[in-house]
Amino acid sequence: MKTQTKIAVSLVVFNIGLLLLFGIGIYFFLNEYSYVDFYKRLETRANIGARYNLKIDSANAEGFKKIREQHLEKLEAEKEYLIRIIPTVSLEEQATKYHLPLSLLQALMKDGRGRHQEGSTFYGGIKLQHNNATYLSIVSANSRFVSHHLTFLRNILLWGFLFIVVVTVYLSIYFSKHFFDPIKEMIDKVKQISTENIHLRLKEPENNNEISELASTFNDLLNRIETAFETQKNFISNASHELATPLTAIMGEADVALIKERKPEDYQKVLQNVVIQAERLNQITKSLLFLAQTGYKGKKIVLEILRLDEVIWEVKGLIDRLNPENKIQVDLSLLPEDPKKLKINGNKQLLHLALANILNNACKYSHNKPVSVHIGASQDQVLLFIKDQGIGIPENELAFIYDPFFRASNTRLFEGYGIGLPLARNIIKLHNGTLLVTSKANSGTSVQINFPLAKLIK
Amino acid sequence: MQKTILIPIDFRVASLNTLKYALERSSGNPHHVILIYAEYLEDSITELLFYRPESKIASKITPEFKNALEVLRNRFEYQIADLDIKLFHNRSRRGLRRFVENHQIDAIYIPQTYRLKMPKKAFDLVSIIRQTFVDYQEIDWPQDHSDASEKDHLEYLFNQ
Repeated sequence: MKTQTKIAVSLVVFNIGLLLLFGIGIYFFLNEYSYVDFYKRLETRANIGARYNLKIDSANAEGFKKIREQHLEKLEAEKEYLIRIIPTVSLEEQATKYHLPLSLLQALMKDGRGRHQEGSTFYGGIKLQHNNATYLSIVSANSRFVSHHLTFLRNILLWGFLFIVVVTVYLSIYFSKHFFDPIKEMIDKVKQISTENIHLRLKEPENNNEISELASTFNDLLNRIETAFETQKNFISNASHELATPLTAIMGEADVALIKERKPEDYQKVLQNVVIQAERLNQITKSLLFLAQTGYKGKKIVLEILRLDEVIWEVKGLIDRLNPENKIQVDLSLLPEDPKKLKINGNKQLLHLALANILNNACKYSHNKPVSVHIGASQDQVLLFIKDQGIGIPENELAFIYDPFFRASNTRLFEGYGIGLPLARNIIKLHNGTLLVTSKANSGTSVQINFPLAKLIK
Repeated sequence: MQKTILIPIDFRVASLNTLKYALERSSGNPHHVILIYAEYLEDSITELLFYRPESKIASKITPEFKNALEVLRNRFEYQIADLDIKLFHNRSRRGLRRFVENHQIDAIYIPQTYRLKMPKKAFDLVSIIRQTFVDYQEIDWPQDHSDASEKDHLEYLFNQ
């Protein structure tokens, strides 16, 4: 069942149920009340009738009769009975004689009051003592209220009910359809979007309701999918390019060498070149493998408690050996006083690799201009800033810097494969840290790395 | 002896550099730091009825600013014995003087070249401090004017 029909059906059922309950309630309670009222009227009439028939208040008997004739409206088919109970005549005989129901007489004898209904004829009566004799005064009449008013009310309720049911059904169907219009529209739009036109986006309605939220969520999702698509495309083209370059070089060198006979020195030279290219190829595949390993979450890495400033110094020593011209300056002006605030859970080798990659990049792309490293700690994080004065990254390429093999457009003059930063990011992610790169072309790049503090038992 | 120092801020990370350099310069005694932010009082009666400085300050503290403050507290764990952020609404020299007297402030530090970025409803205390007092201390630090972007960044605290 569609949600639309579900909503319509439940609305209709609920409304009709409530309405039914309401109508039946009104009818039932009014019905009850009207009987009670009518019986009371009959009893009063029986009382008054007995009083003037038996002349109980002899002085006022005539007055009673007058009042009754003048003020009490004659009921429909009203009949009066005054029965004198004689011990020798049984109740059954009395009942057949006056055409009265036996149960009424029995109830009257027993309780002093009795009520009875036969079809639309109602009986009400009282028992009274006068001059040592027992009398039953009974009045019977047709209830006009029951026969007319209640039927009228029932008809009104029934027609009203039918009318409201029709309106409710119509409104429920209309609203349930109308409410789902934007969603239907959205579904149609999303259906149009495929891999060929993934740049299409949904229109986000102006008003800030759930529908617009849904649309923007869809758009965000599409953005991410598009980026992922792009990344994959980039990766394949870049990877094949990176892998093909050394292979082409090897083949070219070998081909040229084989054209004619050459001196042994020439062969040596060619073979040396081949070895260099093969080494390059080897390095690329190795780093690719490493990237794949760090990106794979299922593998558990061994963590130990490390002081981040020590790791920085070690990495700096490493880079000093490889590239003695570097100008890395470690700024300790915001180093926390409490060394516990520098301790993180980490894997030393992986952190070395990540930080060395980032610091090396900073040195490489700034032609060994000064690179500053700042360390600080907030309540639950160790913060690391690495700033260089290098060539920076063009703003429109910042989104792709974590793609493997991606290299910014201004890096043609520098050697590299574009694996370092994605690798570093994977490693930092493994440590539950965050990596944030902000940059401006030609003015420098700054990298912010946050690591969560290790929870030490005090 | 504990010193009470007053520093005007604009709830941006960069303005905390005043505090950083002021404490770096100091002798290493514990300080009671009062950061002060000046803005005009609302003139709507409901705002005044429900005026609570705590929630006002809390609404102005950005995550970046909070982090920067934590970094500074960690760095100067001993020197910052106490740190309060206060709102100031009285744009008059007398009001400021009274504030300084009431809080028994020993020193006022203001940025020399950095301009507090105050929104429309707030006002710059630095110029009022300059007019009111003679014994304030000015702090200056290298600023990167090229990227004075609108966005606040924790990075602005980490400069040399």
